[in-house]
Amino acid sequence: MLSQQIVNGIMIGSVYALTAMGATLIYGILRILDIANAGAYAVGAYAGWYMYSVTENILLAFVFAMLFTGIIGVLVQKFIYFPIISKPNVIAIVPLITSVGLFTLTGDMLRLIFGPNVKNMNMTFKINAVEIGNVRISAEWIFIVLLTATLFFVLWFILNKTKLGLAWRATAADTEIAKTMGVNVHISMALSYVLGYGFAAAAGTMVGVLYNSIYPTMGDIPSYKMLAIIVLGGLGNPLGTVVAGIVIGLSETLVSAYFGSIMPRDVIAFVVLIIVLLVKPSGLVTRKNT
Amino acid sequence: MKNKRYGIFTLLLVLALVFSLTACASEQPAEEPPAEEPQAEEPQAEEPPAEEEPKEPIRIGFFAPLTGPAAADGLSTSNSAELAVEIINESGGIDGRPVELVSYDDGLDTKQAVSIAQRLTTRDDVVAVVSGSYSGPTRVAAPIFQDAGIPMISGYAIHPDVTDSGDFIFSQSFPGQVQGKAGGVVAVDMLDAKRISIIAVDIDFGKTLAAAFKDYVVPKGAEIVSEDYFGMGDSEFAPIVTKLKDEIKPDLIYMANYYGHGAEIVRQLKSQGFDVQVLGTEGIDSYQFFEIAGEDAEGVMITTNMNRDSEDQATQEYIKTYTEKFGIVPDMVGASVYDAFQVLFKAIGEVGTDPELIRDTIKDLKGFKTVTGELIEYAPTREAIKPVQIQIIEDGAYHYYEEIDDLEIITPEPR
Repeated sequence: MLSQQIVNGIMIGSVYALTAMGATLIYGILRILDIANAGAYAVGAYAGWYMYSVTENILLAFVFAMLFTGIIGVLVQKFIYFPIISKPNVIAIVPLITSVGLFTLTGDMLRLIFGPNVKNMNMTFKINAVEIGNVRISAEWIFIVLLTATLFFVLWFILNKTKLGLAWRATAADTEIAKTMGVNVHISMALSYVLGYGFAAAAGTMVGVLYNSIYPTMGDIPSYKMLAIIVLGGLGNPLGTVVAGIVIGLSETLVSAYFGSIMPRDVIAFVVLIIVLLVKPSGLVTRKNT
Repeated sequence: MKNKRYGIFTLLLVLALVFSLTACASEQPAEEPPAEEPQAEEPQAEEPPAEEEPKEPIRIGFFAPLTGPAAADGLSTSNSAELAVEIINESGGIDGRPVELVSYDDGLDTKQAVSIAQRLTTRDDVVAVVSGSYSGPTRVAAPIFQDAGIPMISGYAIHPDVTDSGDFIFSQSFPGQVQGKAGGVVAVDMLDAKRISIIAVDIDFGKTLAAAFKDYVVPKGAEIVSEDYFGMGDSEFAPIVTKLKDEIKPDLIYMANYYGHGAEIVRQLKSQGFDVQVLGTEGIDSYQFFEIAGEDAEGVMITTNMNRDSEDQATQEYIKTYTEKFGIVPDMVGASVYDAFQVLFKAIGEVGTDPELIRDTIKDLKGFKTVTGELIEYAPTREAIKPVQIQIIEDGAYHYYEEIDDLEIITPEPR
């Protein structure tokens, strides 16, 4: 049973990592804790569902969800966040409250447009499940792991192997110095939102496939759980977020399997967070240069 | 980066705020969301027949979670309320007077329910009230209606506190304790289960049903081999299913939860290849259960109050009209609220709009046919005594399996 439970934990952990990646990228550069990223997650899921129900092509659904939500991200950044943070002496809580407001707004807008009922992807897979020894991995899980790995590879490539990524990392390390070195920080910020909202959309669509349900309040739990993950991962560090997602996925699974219902599942993420912050206040993975 | 440490403190502080804003899935949120004025829906008054003098409408209050995590159930119940009022007005209203619905959204929030109840009792001039909400909002609203002396019928809330509020408060469905016991009858008397695992949602609903189920099956010699409780917003059941499949190996799983949870549990059972009989409750009595679970729902049994295969004409008529009007299939919560309106219409039709007379008429109602089966009478606890339906899922729909009408099982115990 242990090996199956570890597989279960890694699987759900990779979903968490993908879910929190969007907010990580945005925090990494703008130092905005973007709760509205959980709204992008729900919007992305609806966009993916819409495309899939029209074309029945899952790849197209993902691409559409990511592009559509990414564009919304740029608009939100340009017309809402940027005007707020570029005012002098803005305290950190202002953009944060803005994002909570945006998040509430998206949830209710989705309900008004699509109704409160659950929408289904009803995706069918050609294979049922793969069995290795006594560990069973379902087709959905294989699909999710492959997709997550691909997305993380693309992210790694953009951030580490392209000029745009170099500019992003420079801006993340120090916006002022990056500016004096001639980096266009506006483009870096826009990139954060395209990627940040795009990743949230991919995560939302993926969870929609995994649980076969998409509904207006689906962002509620990610909205706070992703905070635990990004803080645990060292605030704005993409690699740390992957590690933290898997740590939390594994902890939740193993506690639920071996200790039963001693505490609600969602509490476990925060208990892990508190323990890690007590031992290593900078998070699980810290940047070498800080 | 000295800002970083600051950042962490702000984050942690704000976590609490965000949590309180979003974690309203539990029936009683720990913190109060921003107080808002409840929004009145457009009163749906129907024009009285043109040839008569317009008569003063009879106003009936209604509240349900039209937004928030239970918005799908809210929609289902408000559809039913709308349909019930529309039908009575088409047939000329009650005693020639049209019925007007005064409808509110409680957002599954107890604080909101309190202000709605205060508004209904002080400003809206309603004759009676129907609750289309869960136990949480209904049980805080009930004492306010009791104090105001306005009869309230709860559609499907199962918590005993609802009707314990006083003699003006009725429940149209059987309480959780009866349904849990009926589940026990199915598990041990009909299916002969010996090793039973319980998976339940950790709120009033799941806990009440699980406790009543256990109280019945354990003395009958069945063993409860595992009990797992999970949060309302949970959707990940792989760890529990793996544990049941590899270690516990039950011969029946009793699920006291809602359709989202139930669907994911049966999908996970299928995906992990664990073939076991699943017994659910009215919580998964929703067409959305099939939509999410698809073929994996086949063979699941539930205890509920509406028999889809009923030969009763009113029931089939209700299912047909509802489906045509709203484009979705009615479920247990909708049907129960529809029935609550039928009971009220009957009482008002007999005795007029005096609240005390309405209360006495409802209390003495016997053998009243509703779309959720025959209401035998109200128990002294003012909870409906009616047969419990056992339905089984075959070919993507609920079908008749058995009916429990043994009075010993279906009569709520005195408290």
